[in-house]
Amino acid sequence: MTGTPALELRSVHRIYGFGSSATNALDEVHLTVPPGRFVSLIGPSGCGKSTLLRLVAGLEQPDHGEVRVHGVPPAKACAAKLIGLVPQSPALLPWLSVLRNVTLPQKINKGAARRRERIAGFAERDAAPSAPDMRELLVKAGLGEAMDKLPAELSGGMRQRAAIVRAFGLRPDVLVMDEPFSALDEFTRESLQDQLLDLWDELKTTVLFVTHSVPEAVRLSDTVVVMAPHPGRIVDIIDVDLPRPRGDRLFGERRFHEYEDLIRDRLRRAWHGEAA
Amino acid sequence: MTVADERTTAPATETEPPVEPSRFSLGHPRSRIAWIRPAAWLPLLVMLAILAALWQWGAEELPYLLPPLPDIGSSLTTQFGYYVDNALVTLGEAVAGLAMGFVAAFVLAVLTSELPLVRRAVMPIAVVLNVTPLVAIAPALVVAFGFGPLPKLVIAGLICFFPILINTAAGLRSVSQQVLQVYQTMDAGRFELLWHVRIPNALPYVFAALRIVFPLSIVGAVVAEMSASGSSGGLGTAISVASSMNQLPVVYASILVLAVMGVLLLLVVTLVERRVLHWHDSAHN
Repeated sequence: MTGTPALELRSVHRIYGFGSSATNALDEVHLTVPPGRFVSLIGPSGCGKSTLLRLVAGLEQPDHGEVRVHGVPPAKACAAKLIGLVPQSPALLPWLSVLRNVTLPQKINKGAARRRERIAGFAERDAAPSAPDMRELLVKAGLGEAMDKLPAELSGGMRQRAAIVRAFGLRPDVLVMDEPFSALDEFTRESLQDQLLDLWDELKTTVLFVTHSVPEAVRLSDTVVVMAPHPGRIVDIIDVDLPRPRGDRLFGERRFHEYEDLIRDRLRRAWHGEAA
Repeated sequence: MTVADERTTAPATETEPPVEPSRFSLGHPRSRIAWIRPAAWLPLLVMLAILAALWQWGAEELPYLLPPLPDIGSSLTTQFGYYVDNALVTLGEAVAGLAMGFVAAFVLAVLTSELPLVRRAVMPIAVVLNVTPLVAIAPALVVAFGFGPLPKLVIAGLICFFPILINTAAGLRSVSQQVLQVYQTMDAGRFELLWHVRIPNALPYVFAALRIVFPLSIVGAVVAEMSASGSSGGLGTAISVASSMNQLPVVYASILVLAVMGVLLLLVVTLVERRVLHWHDSAHN
C-alpha cells in the first residue's frame, strides 16, 4: 500500500452561513500529499487555509467532496491517533509539568494502536512511543532542564516547543500545525523552525503547516500551496527544490530568494486577479 | 486569624479561567514572614482594643442589651464543656450537610456540563432554589423531618448546593477551545477528557466555592437549630434557649464560638487548597 497518499482532498467545498450571507471558505479544492512531505499552506486571511487544516484534523466536515488521511476519513484517522495537532497557542495544561503534558496523550485513547494496525500499511509500525522516548524528545527540543517545570514557568517559545513535542510524541503520520510560530518573536521563531526541522528529519512525519510568512514557508517546506480568498481556493502548488538540511546559510542564497519572489508573485497575482 | 486576605485571587463564578501563574506557584513565603513585623498585626490589635473598650462602655450604659466582656469570658471558661459539646453538634451537622451538598452538587455539575438536556432541565430549578430564602424553608423541613439531626443536614446541604454547582459547572466548561481541539484529534473519550482535563481545570473554581460554602454551612445548621430549638443541642439551640431566658453572656459566648469555628473552617479550606495546588506543583519535582 505504498501508493496511498498521506493526505487526499477531492473536490472539497466548505461553506459557512446560509443564503446571501454565505461565505465560500473552500471551493473545489484538490490536494494530494505523499507521505513524509512537508507542505505549507500560505495565503492571505480568508483564503481557507485554516479551514482546510481543520477539515484534515477532523474538527470540521466538508459540505461536498472527500477528505482522506492515509486512505481513511479524518475521524477514523483521529481514532487511530494518526493526526497530531499543534494549535496557534501551545494549549498546555497548566497543572501538569512539561513532561506530564507531553506524555498525557499516551494515557488517552489507548485503543488507538489496535485501530492503527487495522488501517492498511501500518501493521509494521510500532505503537505509541514509551516514556523514555518523550524525555529524549524533550532534551532534543532543548527542554531537558524544563521537563519538570510547569508551563507557567516557561517562556512562550519553550511552551510552543513543548506543544510540538507533545504532537510528535503521538508518532502521528500527519502533523497539522496552525501558524504555531505566529505569536513568537523573530529570533525564537527561527530557532524553533530549526528544531522543528530536526525533529521532522528524524521522525519523517507528513506535515501540513499553515503560515502567512513567505520565508518560513520556503525555509521549511518541500511543497508550498498558495491559496487565495473569495472563494477560498488553491491557486498554485510550488515544489521547493532546495537541499536539506537548510541552515542559516540558505537565507543568503539566491535560490532561496528566487523561491520567495516566486511565491510572493503568485500571491500578488491571486490577489489582483480577484480584484479585476 | 485573618485567613481570608492572604488568598483573595479566588476566581469569580463566570469569569476567565484562572490560569495566571501565581495560582500555581508555591506559597508566598514573604507574606508569612510579614507577620513577624509589628506593622502587620499591630493595627488589628489596636482595632480590637478599641472595639473592646466601646463594648465595655456600651455594656455599662445599656446592661440589658450588652453583657460585660468579663461575664462572657467567665461563662466560656466555667461552662467550657457545654460550649464544646454544642459546638461539636453544630459542626457535625454543618460538615455532614456540606459533604452531602458537595457530592450532590458536584455530580450534578458534571452531568449538566456533559449533557445539555440535563442542564436545561435542572438549572432553572437550581436558580429558583437559590433565590428562595432557606430560613423560610427551615420550619417546613422541621415539620417534615422532625427534631433530629436530619433537617439540619438537609438545610446545611441545600445552602451549600448552589455555589458549588455553579462554580464547578463553570470550571468544567471553561477549558480553552484549543486545548479541546488538541485532545479531540486524539479522539479522547468523554471520561478521559473529564478526568484529565475538565475536572483538574475546575479545581480552582471548586475551592473558590468551598471558601464561600464552609461558613454558609454553619449558617444553615444554626438556622435549622433555631427553627427546632430545645431539641438535640447545638449552638443555635443554645442561643435560642439562652435568649429566651435572658442569659446574654451565654448568647454572646455562643456567637463568639460560632465565629471562631467559622474562622477555623476557613483555615482548613485554605490549608487543603494549598496542599492540592502544592500537589500540582510538586508531584513532578
